[in-house]
Amino acid sequence: MPENTAYMVTAYIVTAAILVGYAVLLYRRTLKP
Amino acid sequence: MRLLKTGRWIAIVGLALLAAVYVRAIAFTPVERMQGVAQKIFYLHVPAAIWTETGMILVGVASIFYLFLKDPRLDRFAEATAEVGMMFGTIVLTTGPIWGKPIWGTWWTWDARLTLTLLLFLMYVGYLLLRGAVTEPGLRARYAAVLGISGMCLVPFVHLSVYMFRTLHPQPIVLKPSAPSLPGAMLATLAFSFLVFTVLYVGFVTQRYALSLLREQAEPHA
Amino acid sequence: MADVWHHAWLLARKDLLVEFRSRTAIVSAVVFTILVLLVFNFGRDPTAVAAVDLAPSILWVTFTFAAMLALNRAFQLELENQALDGLLLAPVSRSSIYLGKLIANLVFVATVEAVGLPLFALFFNVSVVPVLGPLLVVIALATIGFVAVGTLFSAMTGRTRFAELLLPVLLLPFMLPPLIWAVLATAALLAGRPLSETAGWLRLLAAFDLVFVTLAFLLFPATVNE
Repeated sequence: MPENTAYMVTAYIVTAAILVGYAVLLYRRTLKP
Repeated sequence: MRLLKTGRWIAIVGLALLAAVYVRAIAFTPVERMQGVAQKIFYLHVPAAIWTETGMILVGVASIFYLFLKDPRLDRFAEATAEVGMMFGTIVLTTGPIWGKPIWGTWWTWDARLTLTLLLFLMYVGYLLLRGAVTEPGLRARYAAVLGISGMCLVPFVHLSVYMFRTLHPQPIVLKPSAPSLPGAMLATLAFSFLVFTVLYVGFVTQRYALSLLREQAEPHA
Repeated sequence: MADVWHHAWLLARKDLLVEFRSRTAIVSAVVFTILVLLVFNFGRDPTAVAAVDLAPSILWVTFTFAAMLALNRAFQLELENQALDGLLLAPVSRSSIYLGKLIANLVFVATVEAVGLPLFALFFNVSVVPVLGPLLVVIALATIGFVAVGTLFSAMTGRTRFAELLLPVLLLPFMLPPLIWAVLATAALLAGRPLSETAGWLRLLAAFDLVFVTLAFLLFPATVNE
């Protein structure tokens, strides 16, 4: 089996970052008047 | 405001469930023999892709109804779905190459899904840019609706032609990122992930919709 | 129904007369075409890259630019002196306005293509004549496709900020599919491949045109109605 765990980890982190990042973005937009 | 809070809670639940998806996908789903651990990217990539494309169709449908009914709620929904769809598109366009590199040996390939997602992403960008460029709300909604409907009509053409293209120029790689038939455990993980992405879609669109509503209420109409 | 066409033709004639009297845009487009063809020809190493490999892409780049030039100007005429309001008040249907603009744009682009194609054949030494029929069909279908969508969008972008930047951005996802099909079909034709191979691309182009001309026709009123 090929050794490519690093790619999987990267993709999972990037996905989480985008989703959480968007959630945070939405939250901050409501704080600004 | 109630709608905003509801949306926020749904999204938080979604993110918590996402953690569960991660655990299940990484620790409790078998590793695919040919592709190895990298195949697990599939469980995030596919649901995101489904929602990217569904989003565009929803924008189109909402736009059609808007042109007939002129209900601003439809326009707000279209705007919210477009933004969330673009965000999911970003996930597909990042996880796709990251998955492609170890499996195909290349960061990009004119694979059916990546090409379609790239075009969808460009359509979302155009849609949001157009909205940003028109200040008058009625005009903006109408223009956006025209673009949204056009975008939705383009999707089947891209599907068709990319599949046609592949039959003439076969892929240089053996493995494809999507398996038409999955063993039970993998299918369950995929289904769970898709469910969570749906929850996230609902939560985010609700919040974004509420944001538009709040903004309109804050500014007195001309 | 006949009225629609008649009005459309009158409107198109007006646009074309204005354009061909000043001649600036058409001259720019033709000059650009020649420039691109020359530059690409000098830029390649003839021993490394066969002309026929590069040719289809170059041809379509020049045609696309000509189309963009036409489209950018499409509604500019009406922006000055609020001529668009005048048009809208005139006893012509919205469909005629769209059709008129479409015809004018098509004639403009067709003129540039009529100049560009022979020059292209000349500079790149590709034999166009044996496949001229099918090639003209490909060119016609692809051109109609992106000009139809472009005419619709230019009605919207004309009044926005950054209009000239916005139009290409909006148009990009809609131009890519017909452009790709056209390039593939052109490549197949110039390489002397059997006609059956181009059939698939031609069908897609025709379907695209059918759907999007109809759609633009139906949606155009939404871009100008108050």
